[in-house]
Amino acid sequence: MAKVLMIHPDKCTGCRNCELACSFEHESRFRPGASRVQAYTWEREGMSVPMMCQQCDDAACVKVCPTGAMHRSTTLANLVDWDERVCIRCKMCTVACPFGNARYDAASSSIFKCDTCQGAPECVTFCPNGALEFVDDEQQVRSRKKAYAAKFKEAFQEVS
Amino acid sequence: MFGWTGTTLRVDLTKGTITREATDLELAHDYLGARGMGGKIMIDEVAPDTDALSPANKLIFSPGPLTGTFAPSAGRFEVVTKAPLNNVIAGSNSGGAFGPELKYAGYDALIIEGKAAKPVYLWIKNDEVEIRDASAVWGHTTPDTTDLVRAETDEDAKVACIGPAGEHLSPIANIMNEMHRAAGRSGVGAVMGSKNLKAIAVFGTGAVTVADPDRFKAAVMKARKLIQAHPVGGTGLKAYGTDVLVNILNQTGALPTRNYQDGYFPTADKTGGESLAAKQLVRPKGCFSCIISCGRVTKVDNPAYAGYGEGPEYESAWAFGADCGIDDLDAITKANFLCNEHGIDTISLGSTIACAMELFELGVITAKDTDGVQLTFGNVPAMVEMTRKACTGEGFGAKLAQGSYRLAESYGHPELSMTCKKQETPAYDPRGVQGIGLNYATNNRGGDHVRGYTIAIEVLQNGAVMDPRVTEGKADLDITFQNLTGALDSAGACLFSTFGIGAGELAEMLSAVTGVEYSVDEFMKIGERIWNQERLWNLKQGYTTDDDALPKRLLTEPIKTGPAKGEVNHLDKMLPEYYQLRGWDEKGVPTKAKLKELSLA
Amino acid sequence: MTVKYFATIRTYTGESERRFDDAPATLRELLAALAARYGNLFRNAAFAGDALNPEIIILVNGRNVLYLRGLDTPLAQEDEVSIFPMVAGG
Repeated sequence: MAKVLMIHPDKCTGCRNCELACSFEHESRFRPGASRVQAYTWEREGMSVPMMCQQCDDAACVKVCPTGAMHRSTTLANLVDWDERVCIRCKMCTVACPFGNARYDAASSSIFKCDTCQGAPECVTFCPNGALEFVDDEQQVRSRKKAYAAKFKEAFQEVS
Repeated sequence: MFGWTGTTLRVDLTKGTITREATDLELAHDYLGARGMGGKIMIDEVAPDTDALSPANKLIFSPGPLTGTFAPSAGRFEVVTKAPLNNVIAGSNSGGAFGPELKYAGYDALIIEGKAAKPVYLWIKNDEVEIRDASAVWGHTTPDTTDLVRAETDEDAKVACIGPAGEHLSPIANIMNEMHRAAGRSGVGAVMGSKNLKAIAVFGTGAVTVADPDRFKAAVMKARKLIQAHPVGGTGLKAYGTDVLVNILNQTGALPTRNYQDGYFPTADKTGGESLAAKQLVRPKGCFSCIISCGRVTKVDNPAYAGYGEGPEYESAWAFGADCGIDDLDAITKANFLCNEHGIDTISLGSTIACAMELFELGVITAKDTDGVQLTFGNVPAMVEMTRKACTGEGFGAKLAQGSYRLAESYGHPELSMTCKKQETPAYDPRGVQGIGLNYATNNRGGDHVRGYTIAIEVLQNGAVMDPRVTEGKADLDITFQNLTGALDSAGACLFSTFGIGAGELAEMLSAVTGVEYSVDEFMKIGERIWNQERLWNLKQGYTTDDDALPKRLLTEPIKTGPAKGEVNHLDKMLPEYYQLRGWDEKGVPTKAKLKELSLA
Repeated sequence: MTVKYFATIRTYTGESERRFDDAPATLRELLAALAARYGNLFRNAAFAGDALNPEIIILVNGRNVLYLRGLDTPLAQEDEVSIFPMVAGG
């Protein structure tokens, strides 16, 4: 069973608890710069969007990695994992990712990309608004689809 | 070192110098940060007789030890300075992400002193700190200033700035951060303006560290559960925002109406959180680390008052609403947008317009004074126009921007200013709710609700209940809230976290973050120390027991209509007990024994 | 008698107020009648077992019923009853 991280920008309030939880899980301290997820806020519009690695099947970061450090996990389904022992820090992955979801951190000499906390993402635990969801692939759009279905239901109830 | 960064940044705008100092951690243990630590720094460094708008005053931005962690709804900071409105220690608390960003840049506090020769802004990127020319941004609104400064610094910088009101030195000007969050009260924006400091942009890439990560995480999980299970912290505030209070205060008969001439406004429901959610709410918003999300992103489509922004909060909706006899929510929200864009306090300005309306109806001022405007209660376009004028400082607006005390006094009627210690009292009528009157009268920054929110028990049934009509027990209740808030503010927490957690949970999170053990008693003692520290400052400003007072109207003119008809406030029955329980003498002066107990003497 | 509903209670009732020509004798009877009219969401908000739910705030003519006689508070035809969930702000 493969789980996927889903983002729901419509529910995000911009509180950045996801960033705090992520950096705390990885470093036992609070450094949003070390977070693998970022919630960006457009202040004028009051709109926020969380961004993180989508664990692409056909992942550009894996393709360009010359050492195999960036690879599909053999233990966890649907995870692109990073092996720091094999990585030479050439940073090709950070250039290749079209979403900007992998970056190099000089302070820790690491590549920062979402590792789903090895199957139990802390950002999801700490999001107070349900804007992040870690769900089975079969159910990944269920909440969104059902929410829309509920609107149809309301509309049809009124005419029937 | 944990929780605190260990470094305080000092910027002298006269000399153009930037220095880093070690944070005094001994003091930090006793005053935490934010309001407490900022106040301590101010008392130590600013002479009591300093003119608030002179270069000798200092402007301190201070987050707390919990700020920047994932303690729920605890990402706040305080702006501390000698208040131009009323000479008290202005501690204006704000949320957003500005406080956390200061911590990530490496600072427990930012102390600004002196005065720049011409308009400047401050750019803080970790250790790199620059004083930069702000001549191109001077005069701009707060959202435009924020965008312009970010374009010159970093697109993700957090910006705190003043608007035109702060530039014009209005004693009710505020400081806005991230466009929509306000350090609102006591005129902190005027101090920033007096220093020719238009904005502060911060970008930090550092960390806030924690003494005991496992203990902290466990404490945070527990606190989160309590807040999320609470009907207010968990669901109510997100659904309706703070403006949900309009109806319960009105149905209690304690919604001040037409400059406190009454305590009941029949059509108040049109201005409440339910109406706001139905008509204007785009989405709820949360400050940094918040799990409550009371913020309102709002939009007004009505072409007469069209706009987009955040708010209004309950206090603002009341000030421009019931207090001005107005039930048009579009106009109220527009006035709120104007205040945020121009950097002026909504509570004080709304109440000042209400005061002007009463002066007008009494014939003390006429259309000649008001630039031809018929400034009567309930005149919707007049309210919005006067707000706009106060924001820009034009015509009669320049007088309104001085606050209601200076306005009413200039026309020989200071009694029509609904203020305590010259600061406008907020949206709870002390005639219908006795304990909040004691809080207004004794509050160290004058008319204020957040530092002694007895409403939670007297009206809102939050954890405990006390009859709002009685005076018995209110001194003790008020002191408990005042002390709790002193410590909570100084830790960096949001007052709304108390809709779920209390001193026990806060002390536990604080202990786990800092590595300093705080018991509940010690936590409350810190709050009491801070309260007494602020009291001592006020005594040095010449405030006496005579100033622990309410506007005469609230003591002698009964509420005319509604559920609390016939009620007045009985401050005289509560104040002596308050002094006694505080360990102060009959003149309201802390005794030597009390000061010794609090390590203040 | 007028009964007014606020905040989430209003979403359970689907209306902001209702007038009653014959006032029930007590608050208990009123709430039972309202629960029958509006259903379980309202019933659960109003009652905890047979007692008043501590998370509901009910004012009769502006006075919290906790300072009157709770569920036994007598009601009269000219009364105004206001029903709130716990709310807060500031």
